[in-house]
Amino acid sequence: MYIVLANSLINVDPGLIIWIAVTLILFLLILSKFAWKPLLSALQEREGRIRESLESAEKAMRKAEEITRKNQDALKEAEIRAQQIRKEALEEAELLRADRMEKAKQEAHKMIEQAKNEIQQEKKKALADLRKEVTDMALQAASIILDAELDEKKNKKLVDSFIDNLPKN
Amino acid sequence: MSRLSRFLFLLVLFTTLSTDSVKAAESDGKDNTIDILDKLSNHYYLDFKPFAKVELPRILWTNDGILFFAGTTSAINSDAGLIDLYYLDNEIRYKESGLIEPVTYKLVHTDGRPLKMDLSISTHLVWMWVAGFLTIFLFARLNKKYRAGIGRTSEPKGSFQNIFETLIIFIRDDIALANIGKDKYMKFTPYLLSVFFLILFMNLFGLAPWGVTPTADVSVTIVLALCTFFITQFNGTKDYWKHVLAMPGVPKFMLVIITPVEILGLFTKPFALCVRLFANMAAGKMLIYSIIGLIFLFADMFGTYVGLGSSVIWISFNLFIYALKLFAAFLQAYIFTMFSALFIGMAVEDHSHHGEAAHVIHESH
Repeated sequence: MYIVLANSLINVDPGLIIWIAVTLILFLLILSKFAWKPLLSALQEREGRIRESLESAEKAMRKAEEITRKNQDALKEAEIRAQQIRKEALEEAELLRADRMEKAKQEAHKMIEQAKNEIQQEKKKALADLRKEVTDMALQAASIILDAELDEKKNKKLVDSFIDNLPKN
Repeated sequence: MSRLSRFLFLLVLFTTLSTDSVKAAESDGKDNTIDILDKLSNHYYLDFKPFAKVELPRILWTNDGILFFAGTTSAINSDAGLIDLYYLDNEIRYKESGLIEPVTYKLVHTDGRPLKMDLSISTHLVWMWVAGFLTIFLFARLNKKYRAGIGRTSEPKGSFQNIFETLIIFIRDDIALANIGKDKYMKFTPYLLSVFFLILFMNLFGLAPWGVTPTADVSVTIVLALCTFFITQFNGTKDYWKHVLAMPGVPKFMLVIITPVEILGLFTKPFALCVRLFANMAAGKMLIYSIIGLIFLFADMFGTYVGLGSSVIWISFNLFIYALKLFAAFLQAYIFTMFSALFIGMAVEDHSHHGEAAHVIHESH
């Protein structure tokens, strides 16, 4: 009895082996055809899709990054340009201002010069006028003196009165 | 102290189990002992103690050809000249209905000659079918989801799909891809997946009430191991056979030793697969029955109340073993699949680069 029982633990039963083998082969065929093939293909398809979308997302991100970088570059460039333009404008304005100042100075100078010339001319004219007046007065006085010479007495009196008429100082 | 108690425990376990229980079984024939080895062996009935005992159909290849019977009782009560092995030496026992009662369920011809082959449906076969149908049912249902587009175009939904998808992807990526390589792994993934789930369910059935673990039977694990063996050999590359028959880069006279070892290695691999799975599953089951048996041993030795009282210890210990068995069920299914993938991977590997390198090294010497 004991030997029979001990045997049963590692009992290799050919009938059972045949059955199990047939079952296993059928099982493997059915399962791989109807379950694993579509299932694994579905998983692969999904994984492919996920991989693709990840890749495209990465591509899009890279593109966006590039765009951002470009934008930043453009912005920086624009800023630099703006600064340059401002600087140029300032320089130009400075130049313009200096130019105008110079011109104004010249104009003023010219005006002053002109005024001086005018004054000079006026002065000359006034002097000429004065000379003429004095000449006239002298001529008048001379003619008056000439007229009065005919009469000594009267002449003397005239001179005296002339002298009297002169301011006494 | 603990060493002494462990020694006593083992002494009690082995002496009592190996002699007394067998003697008891022999003396009165009725089961008031737990026959552990009988629990582990294959039967021709499904035992739903204490409700029913369902006899399975018998298919027998006798000297008169192949005979079919609905059950063992009808086989030994028919006029086909068959008898239970037990009745060769013992008196015939009858059921209440007047029919001859089967005892060992092992049939022989009435004159004592063995049958040509016993092709009967047995417990282990039935439970393997259950495991197979369960696997097919589960993955057919899972497949329906993928066919409807859930998991194919969208994310997987629900715990059922997520749990099994995790396992499937684990086997595909961490077992098949890791061991076979990315060129050929898709060819073998279906086999590895099928075997993993089949073994897993067969292992787990042993933990269910009235369940039986078919993988605790060598006949079952032999077939599984042979399947891996044939797949490995039929898919072996030229390089693989060259490495087995004449290892490149080895001196000629050494081949006399190496080639036989390599050829032996072809067979030791599936042998190890077969024995590892069978022994692990059988040992776990044996341990559970042995620990349950301790309750009755203690009751016998120290009285019923000591047996009842100590049962708290044995049952909690058993719970621990049970959890361990649950872990082992997964582990052994994983190990079988992993080693299958490893052996297949070794056979289908292209050694061309590696081989050339070996030649170069050899020539440079």
